[in-house]
Amino acid sequence: MDDASLLNVVLYLPVAGMALLLAVPAGQDGRVRWLTFWVMVVQLALTAVLYAHFNPAVPGLQFETRVPWIPDWGVHYQIGLDGYNVLLVLLTAFLGPLVVAGAFTAITKDVKLFYSMVLLIQFAMLGTFVAQDLFVFYIFWETMLIPMFLLIGIWGGERRIYATIKFFLYTAFGSILMLAAVIYLVYSLQTTTGVTSFAFADLYESRLPLSTQIVLLAAFGLSFAIKVPMVPLHTWLPDAHVEAPTAGSVILAGVLLKMGTYGFMKLGFPLFPDATHYFTPAIMTLSVISIVYGACLALVQNDIKKIIAYSSISHLGYVMLGLISLDLIGIQGAIVQMVSHGLTAAGLFLMVGMIYERCHTRELSAYGGLAKLLPVYSVFFMILTLASIGLPTTSGFTGEFLVLLGSFTASWPLHVQGNSYPLAMSALAVTGVVLGALYMLRFAQSFLFGVSKAPHLPLSDLDLREKLILVAIVVAVFALGLFPDEPLQKTELAAKQYQQIVRTARMPGSAQ
Amino acid sequence: MSGEAILIAMMPEHLLLAGIVFLIVLEIAGSTRGSQLLSVAVVAAAAAIAAMLHLQGYSAAPFAGQFSVGPGPFLAKAVVLALAVPVLLMARDDFADDGPFYPLLLSSLYGFCLMMSADSFLTLFLGLEIMSVPVYVMVLLAFRRPESVEAALKYLVLGGTATALFLMGISLFYGGKGTLALSAFTSALSSTDPMATTAVVLVLVAFFLKAAIVPFHAWAPDAYEGASIPVTAFMATVVKAGVVLAALRLFGTAPVSPLTIDLLAILPLVSIVWGNLTAMRQTSFRRMIAYSSIAHAGYLFYAFLGAGPGRFQAVVFYLIAYALMNLLAFASIPSGKDDTARDNLDSMKGLFHRSPYAALMIGMAMLSLAGIPPFPGFVAKFLIFKNVMAAGFTLYAVLGLVGSYLGIYFYLRVIQFMFMTPAAQPAAAAERESGHLALSAGAICLVGTVLVAVFPGWVMSLL
Repeated sequence: MDDASLLNVVLYLPVAGMALLLAVPAGQDGRVRWLTFWVMVVQLALTAVLYAHFNPAVPGLQFETRVPWIPDWGVHYQIGLDGYNVLLVLLTAFLGPLVVAGAFTAITKDVKLFYSMVLLIQFAMLGTFVAQDLFVFYIFWETMLIPMFLLIGIWGGERRIYATIKFFLYTAFGSILMLAAVIYLVYSLQTTTGVTSFAFADLYESRLPLSTQIVLLAAFGLSFAIKVPMVPLHTWLPDAHVEAPTAGSVILAGVLLKMGTYGFMKLGFPLFPDATHYFTPAIMTLSVISIVYGACLALVQNDIKKIIAYSSISHLGYVMLGLISLDLIGIQGAIVQMVSHGLTAAGLFLMVGMIYERCHTRELSAYGGLAKLLPVYSVFFMILTLASIGLPTTSGFTGEFLVLLGSFTASWPLHVQGNSYPLAMSALAVTGVVLGALYMLRFAQSFLFGVSKAPHLPLSDLDLREKLILVAIVVAVFALGLFPDEPLQKTELAAKQYQQIVRTARMPGSAQ
Repeated sequence: MSGEAILIAMMPEHLLLAGIVFLIVLEIAGSTRGSQLLSVAVVAAAAAIAAMLHLQGYSAAPFAGQFSVGPGPFLAKAVVLALAVPVLLMARDDFADDGPFYPLLLSSLYGFCLMMSADSFLTLFLGLEIMSVPVYVMVLLAFRRPESVEAALKYLVLGGTATALFLMGISLFYGGKGTLALSAFTSALSSTDPMATTAVVLVLVAFFLKAAIVPFHAWAPDAYEGASIPVTAFMATVVKAGVVLAALRLFGTAPVSPLTIDLLAILPLVSIVWGNLTAMRQTSFRRMIAYSSIAHAGYLFYAFLGAGPGRFQAVVFYLIAYALMNLLAFASIPSGKDDTARDNLDSMKGLFHRSPYAALMIGMAMLSLAGIPPFPGFVAKFLIFKNVMAAGFTLYAVLGLVGSYLGIYFYLRVIQFMFMTPAAQPAAAAERESGHLALSAGAICLVGTVLVAVFPGWVMSLL
């Protein structure tokens, strides 16, 4: 098997898994669970092979497939790995088996449909990351909505229908404007250069006037900012997280939110560099507002899922800040922060799911003193809490530290430089770290310590399946925290490329 | 005008006619076994399609100035006849031994074929009427509910109005231009002569009436709701396709003139928005589909804004995607004795737990109609809006896309009912599985859908 087909195998494995699930006779839920699990494990193993063979010294795409798909429009089925997506693909594949295993006992209704949807969303997410053609990217991007819509709507909590329709309509609104922008962008490329193509590489070459870039970045940006989500477009997230089943929350926090930041990094900013310069102060401000506002909201929640949901808004604010800083360290930090948040938020949501299965409530005030009742659970919970705060040696530290370092040392564009604005913003972003420690420790304190109370006593501590899931996540968190060098090498070239494309304003005089 | 050309060029029409005659003979002979009638009708349609595939690349004008064939007409006919086959198959459940249904449907197809080859307004008019008149009767055939009579009457009166407008239009056109040739119509498009302008407006309004474009749409919800499911499917797909393709034959590849831009952009845009908004409030599935089809007629006429050469491809591709989805949904609805209860959206609640495959098929159809990737409805919509934008109508394209966003909610609501809401008890009791033929109709549509979704480039290269 050559290299390119291996990536295709990884991508289409979930689809094959869905076909296998169809063949399982009704009523054999256990078989459905294990089949899905093993499909995910094989996918992870193959992705690990891809990761190991990914050569950090090669610029451009690796494991590339490029076949004409809709020749009339110049659409190619083009996928490949590069520094932008390699870590996110690995993260997605890594979370796959954990999501499946995490739902073993929680999902007892419509099991086959549930695991089909988990496989479908896995397919769509991987496809979005590896797509190198805007048309293919858009198809995968939109396809993600369908399984998520069903995951929240069928297996969610009480207000699941409200939450899932809100989620769908919110994200679809961004997508429809992005679609208009995609058509316009490709059409402009055609009229200016005579090339009809949706390939990212060709689109980077389009030279649009600043006014057009501003409109198009606004359309793309709206779609991505809803996904991230950036304040003030975040209001769908707490609802979706709270109502979603654990698996849905894990996928949402672990991977789906990164679609927005990945979209900015891969498409939004590099496609429209002049507009990015123009919007830099606004994006920087919104990122910092997201960091601080998200943290403040997390501080006052009583619903434990909402705490993590708002903390996600705060953590992804760092990613945006790192990306817009255009500083190599900041960009690298943003990439690590994406992966780190994927691990810690996924872990925390899994742990919330585990306690919810035991106690059937998400109210923080109903809990207390779990450290005595569930010692093993509490140890894992504390580790993930500290990783989320960004304690040194954990992945959270690497990400946040690099982003803040980048933000302070960045050479911001001229029209924001020269006054103390970037400095003030960076300083404000630092307060997010303090607030982060505050809300997570408040959460852990009233959750784990204090008077022992839990809605349904006696409680059984974690079983082997749950322990294994959490061990996997904790190992990954420490691996990324202690040895960030290896993954950072893999992304370095892409980060440099991104920095170079965005920093170089193309229209003379348009940037300032 | 040679006899051979008449024989070959009109082969599809001849085969359909043979089918009609044969069905009538069977009826007279007293053989009214549904399966026999159905097979004759399907064979006639299939033979006509096969003949056209065989005649690929053939072009001739057996009646000069009135009727001509070429790759374009053959393609349009083959596509629409192919879409009629699932309608025939799913009709078996509702029109078990209803003799007149099948020859009526074939007659309507005959009229459609005539339209696609029309070179003059006379032939076009004949075709339009032969296509429409049988449908009035077909609506009435579902004589299980009083609503059907009302629906048929409304449809008849409004259809008659369209006919009158059309006749008035072509009379004025003849008065101004002294010809009935369709080729002269495109020159009238850019004319400033008030007579020609009025003629253009009247003809266009007649088409808008037949295609149910706002504000000429009021008949559609009642007619769709009153008819039985196969007839509704026929109206929403074949008849709609016929009207739009006939309009396309009229406009050809001529660029849109300032006068027609207003008509072709604003009214379809209003249709998209109004159709999608009103569909949200419906409690009847067929009424909802009627409003959805009003919106889709809007997208189809939007395609006329695009540059001439790409128009045919965009319209036919859209029609294929749109019709496959409608047919898939209609073929998958579980049948039941009580037609009204079956039509109620509430009866779809909890469908996934009763018939999972039906629910999955309908769900897929809804997402495709909403234009959500990876289903074919998305590529079809993309093609139209790409052409509109490339022709320079950026604002209209963006407004149309935003209008299509409004439609997402009511399609999702159907999915929500089927998958997320528990069933209402009585509806579940009256329900039974669809017949084999309806299922095979669904299977044909599913295969078509997958083909269009996975190989859109290949399908486009055929058009």
